[in-house]
Amino acid sequence: MVDDEVVKAWFVQEILPLEPSLTRFIRSHCRQAADVADLRQDVYVRIYAAAREQLPRQARPFMFTTARNHLINCAKRAQIVSIEYVSDLEASILAIDTVTPDRTLSAQDEFRRVRTGLDRLPPRCREVVLLRKIEGLSTREVAMRLHVGIDTVEQQMVHGMRALVDFMLGGSGKIRRAATAKRSLEKERNR
Amino acid sequence: MSDSASIEEISARWLLRREEADWSGEDQVELDKWLNSNMENKVAYWRLEHGWRKADRLAALQPFSPAPAHRPRRLWRISATAAPLAACLILCVLTVSSVDVARHKTYVTEIGAREIVPLADGTQIELNTATTLRTAVQGQVREVWLDQGEVYFEVVHDATRPFVVHVGSRTLTDLGTKFSVRRNGDHVEVAVVSGRVQLENEPVATTSMPVTLARGDIATVHGTSTSVLPNSIDKVDDLLSWRHGLLVFDQSNLADAASEFNRYSRKKLIITDPTIARMRISGRFESNNLDGFTRLLRLAYGLNVADEGAVVKISD
Repeated sequence: MVDDEVVKAWFVQEILPLEPSLTRFIRSHCRQAADVADLRQDVYVRIYAAAREQLPRQARPFMFTTARNHLINCAKRAQIVSIEYVSDLEASILAIDTVTPDRTLSAQDEFRRVRTGLDRLPPRCREVVLLRKIEGLSTREVAMRLHVGIDTVEQQMVHGMRALVDFMLGGSGKIRRAATAKRSLEKERNR
Repeated sequence: MSDSASIEEISARWLLRREEADWSGEDQVELDKWLNSNMENKVAYWRLEHGWRKADRLAALQPFSPAPAHRPRRLWRISATAAPLAACLILCVLTVSSVDVARHKTYVTEIGAREIVPLADGTQIELNTATTLRTAVQGQVREVWLDQGEVYFEVVHDATRPFVVHVGSRTLTDLGTKFSVRRNGDHVEVAVVSGRVQLENEPVATTSMPVTLARGDIATVHGTSTSVLPNSIDKVDDLLSWRHGLLVFDQSNLADAASEFNRYSRKKLIITDPTIARMRISGRFESNNLDGFTRLLRLAYGLNVADEGAVVKISD
């Protein structure tokens, strides 16, 4: 067993920076855009489970192999995909290996990126995130400053955090609602 | 298939809660329980934590940097009031008191050593590696001088006899506290575990403006400037992990991590390649286990480790 702190350091350092490539890879082989994040999470879990036994020597090929195998398994389980689809996937890994590596962002690039991500947030969300990150206000303090409830502030921060993180890791930076949140939202609407 | 959005939402709530000042040991136990309950939780949390930390770069935003056209004006008013607080405080202080001469005692620790010393007034001090501390604790006088290294203080408070720590031209006065001070030449770092400490910087110029540091504050003094990172009790704990013989890195770059290890060891780590010097390292390590650390660099990061006796060279 590899120490969890070591696995975490490796995962954050080696795997997460590859997220844009991984997302592209999954998206190109998955017809349901809504499933991309779930599939990505499955792949991360499999990578984590393997890394806990032994850290893979090379993150990139390991990640794509894991992703490909998982997609093949899902496809086989769904029993609706053609043989061509699976063999496409089998072949895909060769193409992926020659893809140029993800560029590591410089501090300045990252700063620019986070500002762009911030500008994409809805105004209220952006304000809450700014108060947190720049002024270091607690949830309660933000609520007092903006004269709104703590729950509202927390919900905005959760949205802001998720969208911003998605953008920082190469995503679109749009707010993705959780299934449960969606359900409760619908319930409220129906009321 | 997992519902990644729901897990991510819960992760986000944990992360936010953990940033709050009242985060406790029990909360941490709860979080660990949640993280360990399944792997989905853990990877989602790590991912979010990593990305959210990247967004810390926002702290560099200044109110006078050009605003995107569609940003609400209100925001700028808020950040304008915040900037002086968030940015570095530049402090200039006069007062240099002539020191009453009491009997001095000097404590010195070797590289890699650690020592706990009880002082005559009941105050307990703990010296970290390669430290020199002079003390004058006698009668009405309670003063110490940190010449180099790092010391943790648990001061028995006495309002009539302030406990004063001199660090070069800086002065720290205890207001009932546990705190640590680290000195590396002109660079001083103060971390407050509990109570309050008053910090006065260089006696260079005009106004005297001491800063009061409270629990969880970390002050960094360099030259005439002092910056304070407030409400960072987790980070204070990390800084003090040396008391348990540990080094804790949280996204430190490899160069900084290596120089931390070098404080504790006669054998020195040298990073030969500037690109790997910027690599990020997180984790907990025994401060005297240089071999364990280099093994990790070799196995987990695939770096070359060349042990040449007096130095260990790390290259890509």
